[in-house]
Amino acid sequence: MVYDGIVLGLTVGLLRGGFRYGLTRFGSLRIRGGLWFPLLLLLQFVVFELNDRSSAFASFSGIFFAAVYVAGLYILWLNRRTPGFLFILGGVFLNFLVMAVNGGKMPVSLEAAKVLDPYYVHILQTGAVVTKHFLMDSATRLPFLGDIIPLSRPYPRTQVISVGDIVMNVGIFLYLQHILVPDRKRIRAQEMEAGQS
Amino acid sequence: MPNWKTAIAKLHLSHLYVLAICLTGLGLFTMYNRGAFIHYTTPTWVWVYALSGAAVVLTVFTFQLPPQGNGLSLDSSVYLACIFVFGPAFSLTVLLVSSAMIFLIERKTIWWKHLINFAIYSVIIASASFTYAALGGVRGPLLDGHLSAYAGGMAVYFILNTMLIAFYYYVFYNENLYETLKGMLKDTIIAYLSTLVLALVLVILLYHNHIFGLALFLCLSVLLSYAFKRMFAMYRDIEERANRDLRTGLFNHSYFELTLEEEMRKSRSTGSSLSLAMIDIDDFKKYNDHFGHLKGDGLIVFLAELLKKECGSEEMVVSRYGGEEFTLLMPSYDTDQAKRFLDRLRKTLNNSHFEGAEIFPQGCLSFSSGIAGYRTDIHDKSELVDQADQALYYAKKQGKNMVHVYGHQSLLEQDIDFSQDVRDIEQQLNLFMYKDMETFKHSKRVFRYAVDISEVLSLDSLSKRQFTLGALIHDIGKLEIPWGILNKKEKLTPEEWEMVKWHVTWGKQMALMGDKFKDLAPYIELHHERYDGKGYPHGFKGEEIPRLCRMLTIIDSFDAMTTERPYQPTKSVEEAIVELRACAGSQFDPELTELFISYIESRQPRTTEAAV
Repeated sequence: MVYDGIVLGLTVGLLRGGFRYGLTRFGSLRIRGGLWFPLLLLLQFVVFELNDRSSAFASFSGIFFAAVYVAGLYILWLNRRTPGFLFILGGVFLNFLVMAVNGGKMPVSLEAAKVLDPYYVHILQTGAVVTKHFLMDSATRLPFLGDIIPLSRPYPRTQVISVGDIVMNVGIFLYLQHILVPDRKRIRAQEMEAGQS
Repeated sequence: MPNWKTAIAKLHLSHLYVLAICLTGLGLFTMYNRGAFIHYTTPTWVWVYALSGAAVVLTVFTFQLPPQGNGLSLDSSVYLACIFVFGPAFSLTVLLVSSAMIFLIERKTIWWKHLINFAIYSVIIASASFTYAALGGVRGPLLDGHLSAYAGGMAVYFILNTMLIAFYYYVFYNENLYETLKGMLKDTIIAYLSTLVLALVLVILLYHNHIFGLALFLCLSVLLSYAFKRMFAMYRDIEERANRDLRTGLFNHSYFELTLEEEMRKSRSTGSSLSLAMIDIDDFKKYNDHFGHLKGDGLIVFLAELLKKECGSEEMVVSRYGGEEFTLLMPSYDTDQAKRFLDRLRKTLNNSHFEGAEIFPQGCLSFSSGIAGYRTDIHDKSELVDQADQALYYAKKQGKNMVHVYGHQSLLEQDIDFSQDVRDIEQQLNLFMYKDMETFKHSKRVFRYAVDISEVLSLDSLSKRQFTLGALIHDIGKLEIPWGILNKKEKLTPEEWEMVKWHVTWGKQMALMGDKFKDLAPYIELHHERYDGKGYPHGFKGEEIPRLCRMLTIIDSFDAMTTERPYQPTKSVEEAIVELRACAGSQFDPELTELFISYIESRQPRTTEAAV
């Protein structure tokens, strides 16, 4: 789901701001602690792998997940002055919240999952394979923050997302707009200053 | 003191209003919603997200409508569609979620404004739902049998929305309730009506195509909002260009005139004070002559920048009135505050460095300023401008680099100024001693009549000054008429008569030469006009001739009739009065004639007594 916001943001941003401007701006892109994101992602995969292999590790994987998320949230917080990042922070936090209160996993609603491949639904139902997701039931806490929003035709991709995902993607979209679209007011102010001096 | 009281009353009123709205809103919310969202299933939550997301997006895309810039967002169509399709409880949940989101997004807005907004919407949604249900509307698809219910719901929504918001502005910004309502309706009604119709369209889309229908609707309305936004930005841009002076970036003369009218109207209705200051750079011509126009323009821009910087934080309208003259329109400033402000500004200018400032007689940049305060008996904006101009002229006369408030010179000073002016004019009249003694004496007599008459008419000091000095100077143009014609004993030939008539025009031109007696020109030029329009030089008629000029005509003629001349019959005062009455309505203003006659008659016994 992260890609949707990026793709949409890039397309609209480049169309609005023009390719030349967008590409130069893209080259000079700076995010505080930006290098940590791929590292955190990598860490998550490692944890997944270890989770599968050793049961001893699985016992404290929950804490580990929380630590990774908190680190991610902290880096986002560092960037909070950049437009869009508060949205990303809010979205990630909502996802983190619902996973935290449900044992580190994302609840998926059965109604929404109907749009997905039946095979995947089957896996969710039986809980045969360990994944980041689980099927929600009446015991699930904060179900309205879980993966309950089905995306399917006419939307080009079929998936189930949470409201946190949407908020996060709005943030990504806004951030890309900020990067790729020249700010008219700022430009005008600069022009006026240049004209006066 | 009374201002204090009204301020407290306003404060209480606004608090009461906020309290009442919030309590009603929250009460209705609880009554209709009852926390229904606790039991929502996940698909219902998806709907809540979708609809509140739509409402938030549309709120963010609020656009403004020309000319006043009233904001309008299409979020109302979402709420209305919610009411029609899902009912009040669900609509209020959508409102709650979207309000929470907007609260988080627009953190700059103070929290209680969010609360008021939420409460107002709660009231509107609850009332519209109630009306809709009462008129037989059922939640669900759009049914053509229920049109009256839809119409009723929308009408209540619209009316309540307009009323509550107008009252909000009335309470908080002290605006005229009726004017606000009128303004809102005039500008937004068509756009608002389309919101209502869009709500019905959204009902169809929601019911048949669910989220996809909503997405389509959202696309359409966002694009529309965007287009409107662009249009408004363009409108503002062009408006800005039309209202600004190109060189300085200040407002221009025509914008100033417009705002002056507007502000005077506002002051009249609210009773708040309003001051107008006119600023003129001292010895600008000297600077221009010395350094050339390019540098002179630089000086104008320099002062304009200073004005922008110093007045930017205040609610003032700074405009370039023309040339090196600027105006400051200062709402809610009385003349004393305005004088303090301008004196500070003047000192700031004195202390700023500018290339070539040493050539000024003061040794620094300076301006003179005249301030006029608005009073309710000023009806025409040009009167206020005139007063500020007079005060500016006075400030210049006192040696420049100073601020003067109109009418603030002491009585003694006024008297001294006046006698100075009288002496100046008499100096010029002295030439008549050689040329035409009669005109000299006549001018002085008319002057004395005018002094008396201005008491009778109880003129204000400015009019009195103009009227009496005008009377003294009115025949100055006769200086141009050759000695031979002025003193000719025989009847004048038609050509000579034409020449005599020219004295009014020559006199006017003489007065216009200097700044000092410019305002006396109408008395010189128009004292031979007749009430019936058969006079000269223009043939003006009735009210076209200023009132005091009509009075001067009467005095002038009366004096001519009653003056003794050798070898000519002189009319007695009684005969002259008969003659005046005979010509009242044709040559003279009848009303003023009676006034003058009663003055003469009241004077008559006194002089006879004195003679005895």
